[in-house]
Amino acid sequence: MTTMLSRIADSLFWLARYMERAEDTARILDVNYHMMLEESEKFLRLRWDPLLVMAGEEQRFRALYDEANAHTVFEFLAFRQDNPNSIVQCIANARENARTIRDRLSREMWEDINGLYHAVNSFDCRQEIANGPHRFCDLVKFGSHRFHGVADATVPHDEGWQFLRLGCHLERAEMTARLVDVQYQYLLDAPLLSGPPDNHQWMAVLKSVGAYEAYHRKHYSQIEPEHVAEMLILHPQHPRSIRFSVNEVQEGLRALSNSQPGSYSNEAERQTGKLLDRLRYDRIDEIFQHGLHSYLNELLGSCLHIGEHIARSYFYYKAIV
Amino acid sequence: MAANPTNVTAKALFEGYDLGAFYDEMFEGPGKPRPHYVKLFQRLAEMAPEQFEERRKVAELSFLLQGITFTVYSDGAGTERLFPFDLIPRIIPYHEWEKVERGLAQRVKALNLFLKDIYGPQKILADKRIPRSLVYSCKHFRREMIGLQVPRGIYTHISGIDLIRDSASGEYMVLEDNVRTPSGVSYVLENRLIMTRTLPEAFQAYGVLPVAHYPSELSRILHSLSPRGNHAEAVLLTPGIYNSAYYEHSFLAQQMGIELVEGRDLVVDDTVVYMKTIHGLRRVDVIYRRVDDDFLDALVFRSDSLMGVPGLMGAYRAGNVALANAVGNGVADDKAVYAYVPEFIRYYLAEEPILRSVDTYLCSRPGDLQYVLEHLGELVVKAVGESGGYGMLIGPAADKAKIADFRRRIQADPRNYIAQPLIGLSRVPSFDVEQGQVGGRHVDLRPYCLFDGEEVTVVPGGLTRVALREGSVVVNSSQGGGSKDTWVVREEG
Repeated sequence: MTTMLSRIADSLFWLARYMERAEDTARILDVNYHMMLEESEKFLRLRWDPLLVMAGEEQRFRALYDEANAHTVFEFLAFRQDNPNSIVQCIANARENARTIRDRLSREMWEDINGLYHAVNSFDCRQEIANGPHRFCDLVKFGSHRFHGVADATVPHDEGWQFLRLGCHLERAEMTARLVDVQYQYLLDAPLLSGPPDNHQWMAVLKSVGAYEAYHRKHYSQIEPEHVAEMLILHPQHPRSIRFSVNEVQEGLRALSNSQPGSYSNEAERQTGKLLDRLRYDRIDEIFQHGLHSYLNELLGSCLHIGEHIARSYFYYKAIV
Repeated sequence: MAANPTNVTAKALFEGYDLGAFYDEMFEGPGKPRPHYVKLFQRLAEMAPEQFEERRKVAELSFLLQGITFTVYSDGAGTERLFPFDLIPRIIPYHEWEKVERGLAQRVKALNLFLKDIYGPQKILADKRIPRSLVYSCKHFRREMIGLQVPRGIYTHISGIDLIRDSASGEYMVLEDNVRTPSGVSYVLENRLIMTRTLPEAFQAYGVLPVAHYPSELSRILHSLSPRGNHAEAVLLTPGIYNSAYYEHSFLAQQMGIELVEGRDLVVDDTVVYMKTIHGLRRVDVIYRRVDDDFLDALVFRSDSLMGVPGLMGAYRAGNVALANAVGNGVADDKAVYAYVPEFIRYYLAEEPILRSVDTYLCSRPGDLQYVLEHLGELVVKAVGESGGYGMLIGPAADKAKIADFRRRIQADPRNYIAQPLIGLSRVPSFDVEQGQVGGRHVDLRPYCLFDGEEVTVVPGGLTRVALREGSVVVNSSQGGGSKDTWVVREEG
């Protein structure tokens, strides 16, 4: 069947987005939490504040808690139902999207998402906070990996699959951009407070996107912030780099419209092409010259536009001629 | 998941089983199973309650993981619940089933002819075989349907006809007809699937008639209704995920390979229905709708409905789209009209009804009304427009206040009530989770019938609903009911 309802495309897109958001939040939470165990008391604030900024939820957090510490941040990012971007809420939203389109998913895929939903909801928040987030975060991370694996292996790679691909990679590009941006800002300020530059923080950044080993295969030296940024923004093959993710978005959009390289058939494709050209031909020293923060901000702005135009091209109702 | 408390002991599963004063589907006497249950009984009797409980939990978990749930609204939140599944199947020998099947086919055809007549020439009214006032006062009678030509003259594509077995006579009787949007067939299919995984050894001794062909048969019928001949785009219209039967809607759409759509996915332009796809609008020919008449088209029915498709009735009237079931079918399954169905069978088919109906007093008839008011403590009273076990009085089980309440309601609106004698529903042994033992529990049976304009296909068996609470006779899922796999078995010899 070649029909794809706009509503279903919309749900597939958001299903993948929420799943990716849950995974990325879990990764960041897990790595930072464990890094923190090796930190001295006075730098703790440095660790937790960036996490909240990254999740874009600092204000909401301040309204709910007095202090950012391991317990409050973990509870807030992992479990709070009144935080729409907490991990359990992301998974609930992913499942709700899946539930509205379960007739379009494979049985395996639905059962897996549904199983993950029941699994994260069976965690006792207090108990997990006492135990540390690793078990929980691991469950979410592997839940998300299974989601991709099951989707790849059991769902036809048709238009619906392309919407999963778009949602996942657009979200990932944004999350990585925020991660790099926030860590950089805090770490650039940090030396003034904490003395010598801290490799551990950058190690945490790499680990949170699963790029630590890959980094060391490429760079024998100790961890250089510039190299980390280069890897996370510009690496052509690392599946968590921004360039890789945006490339996936372009491939997905082209598969939907049959546009040929060098041309575009809607605004989402045009914006994606422009963004990808920058990522392909910019060098990291140019980016730093331009200013990393403003570069990443522009990039986030482009991602936002791409998302809007995907919705306009495919999810909204088009009048008949 | 939350485990239910169980007091499983080392006692055998059927120890101390009490037949009670009811027809027992499994036993003809204490410890003596009916012939078609002997082999199952032997296998179950070997099983320790712990073992049984373990199997039961496996089955329950697979329902949960598959998300086979329904939604309950009474607690405000609209939470998802499991429809409890009892592992002991209801077995129907083929010679019994064969008669039920003929009776159902006869009934479905008569109901279809009645609808065709009532929205057409109305001969039955002219011949005074049913009062005109009764028909026109039905809540679900739709004047908009008069004179509308439905595709291939089919109204009742899908019927779920509720049967009970009367303990007094041992006979099957029709309790009510459901020819609007009957639900539950997905449980028939899922129950069977889970049963074959959970108690595979029980099947080996039997030739159980398969049920899995239902979706393909339904799909065939839906596609045959297309106004564009071989070119048929069929969809299933659901009210959405908050509907209690949403699981079933998605299940059936997936099994039939048709789109599951909501009202907002469809649009009508110049009396043609389209769905909104990522590449623009695509024409829709057939709609298996699981949205009630009232909500189908805000231009014609309830104007506050967001679930339906404005303009849909116009497209239907123009013959550009087929709906299954037809609009206005509720006049045929009205609980008062029910009393006349045997008459429809005689009138339209010139046959005697194969299946008995339950004696019914219509409170709209003055004589019946007086009798009902004098015997409220013995009768079952039902509001004609309600379903799902709501709006019902079970006289022998009710207290004085409730009886008085119904007396007032009946007197205020007699047309809205009917009464029937209390039928002792037959029972099937069922596992009581709290007692960790098997006890007799009341059941009904909803077979699903598909009508293609010529022949009626009935899925062998149907949905056996069971009142899991001891002594209860209310089998509805919203009120503590569960279900069982239902086997129609070929007999040996």
